[in-house]
Amino acid sequence: MNDAIQRNFTYLAYGLITAWAILIVYALTLAARGRSLTRQLENVKRMLEDQSKK
Amino acid sequence: MQFLRQTLTVTAKDLRSELRTKEAVNASLSFALVILILFSFAFDPTSETTREIAGGLLWLVFAFAGVLILNRSFARELANDCLETLVSSPVPGSALFVGKSLANYALLIAIEVVCLPVFGVFYNVTWWSRPWELAMVLALTTWGLTVVGTLFSALTVNLRLREVMLPMLVYPALIPCLMAAMQLTTTLVAGEPIAGDQWAWVRLLAGFDIIFTSLAVLLIDAVLIG
Amino acid sequence: MRKNILIAGGAIAALLLARNIWVILTQLPDEKFQGAIFRIIFFHVPAAFTCFLCFLASLIAGLAYLKSKKLNYDAFGVSVVEVGLAFGAVNLLTGMIWARIIWGIWWTWDWRLTSMLICWLLYAGYLVLRRAIDEPTERARMSAVMSVLNFSVVPFVFFSIKWFRTQHPQPVLFGEGKMDSGYRAMLYGNWVPILIVAAILIAVRYVQEKQQREIDALRREAHMI
Repeated sequence: MNDAIQRNFTYLAYGLITAWAILIVYALTLAARGRSLTRQLENVKRMLEDQSKK
Repeated sequence: MQFLRQTLTVTAKDLRSELRTKEAVNASLSFALVILILFSFAFDPTSETTREIAGGLLWLVFAFAGVLILNRSFARELANDCLETLVSSPVPGSALFVGKSLANYALLIAIEVVCLPVFGVFYNVTWWSRPWELAMVLALTTWGLTVVGTLFSALTVNLRLREVMLPMLVYPALIPCLMAAMQLTTTLVAGEPIAGDQWAWVRLLAGFDIIFTSLAVLLIDAVLIG
Repeated sequence: MRKNILIAGGAIAALLLARNIWVILTQLPDEKFQGAIFRIIFFHVPAAFTCFLCFLASLIAGLAYLKSKKLNYDAFGVSVVEVGLAFGAVNLLTGMIWARIIWGIWWTWDWRLTSMLICWLLYAGYLVLRRAIDEPTERARMSAVMSVLNFSVVPFVFFSIKWFRTQHPQPVLFGEGKMDSGYRAMLYGNWVPILIVAAILIAVRYVQEKQQREIDALRREAHMI
């Protein structure tokens, strides 16, 4: 009986961890995308500056 | 009246162009027959279980083979800028859509009518015991398949991987319609009439058809013209 | 200013969640038949609610775009669909873990899980469609049409699969089953921090989508000079 209860709690832990893991992974992909966007923005701005200097 | 004339002109054009070359119909029919044969290896085709899955099997075949025809529907117009010409003609988008849907409907029904006897022979199933109700189910479901499939065909016509995108996008949307058809067809092929609560599936099919036909006619201008 | 709002929202959500988790794990009594695993419901169900709220928002964004042709609605549309898919995935995976303990199998073709899976596939198709179209206006138009179609299919999917199968535990919110009031309060209570998290994710994604458009515009300008 105790074994089943233990298993129950273990799976509850897995469940909660999974739920938040998915959201954290999504948040991390957003962060990565944000960094890539900032980099692209800097590149384009630099490109524009170089062209306006010519 | 003019709408009807325009619609039927588009239907006639599509049917004529398809029947001259018969490429999509041939491909679709061959594909349907191949699937029927393949399914016979997935389970024992002569046992009682065939009766239980007959409806499901039939509609899987029709759905897979039908998408080939639906794909062709708008893809046919890409060559020589035919699509631009059609869209800029005085024919309204809705007439174009309904016309193409009717043509696809005719072709799909033709394929289904050819596949049914083949199915009966391969799987030793008497499918003709309740003909009128079966015809009703075929008519309603095929219209649902056609309307949603033609709309998605218009959506995906300009995409790179059109042949892959159309099945992938269209099948989840068709699940309610196909599910109802599978339930009803299994019952009818087994010789039973449509029982009391099974009429709910027929109502689902009718509702699906009405709602998606209206939606498609409303949205087609946004898809084709913008 | 906006960043501060997001951070403040995040802090509130974190506090609420911490408090909720403490209550969930220590205060509430065990459910009679299912034991401890039942507590997963406090994340499983609000995730589903949030997912459908997001899909509803995508319908509204789609219709708004078709009416007004403003690309901001399209940016909002893609943000809510992505976040909705994330919460849908949470619902599906927590449902599978729950099913594994209660019914012994990972996947049971029970009507709620199956319907959610099909809706998930529908909206995943939305993202794949967007990937296949490069031109922003055309992409926005096709996405808007697809979000209208997808949301129209959702009720059909739910009702048809419900008639098809029923294996889920009896509905405890809108059905015959009675839920202890403490549980019910926590169920709705936990929805609040989850909604806040969803709103933050949507806001971040929306800003990124607008930034992408700005970058594309600048790039076009750079190439034209």
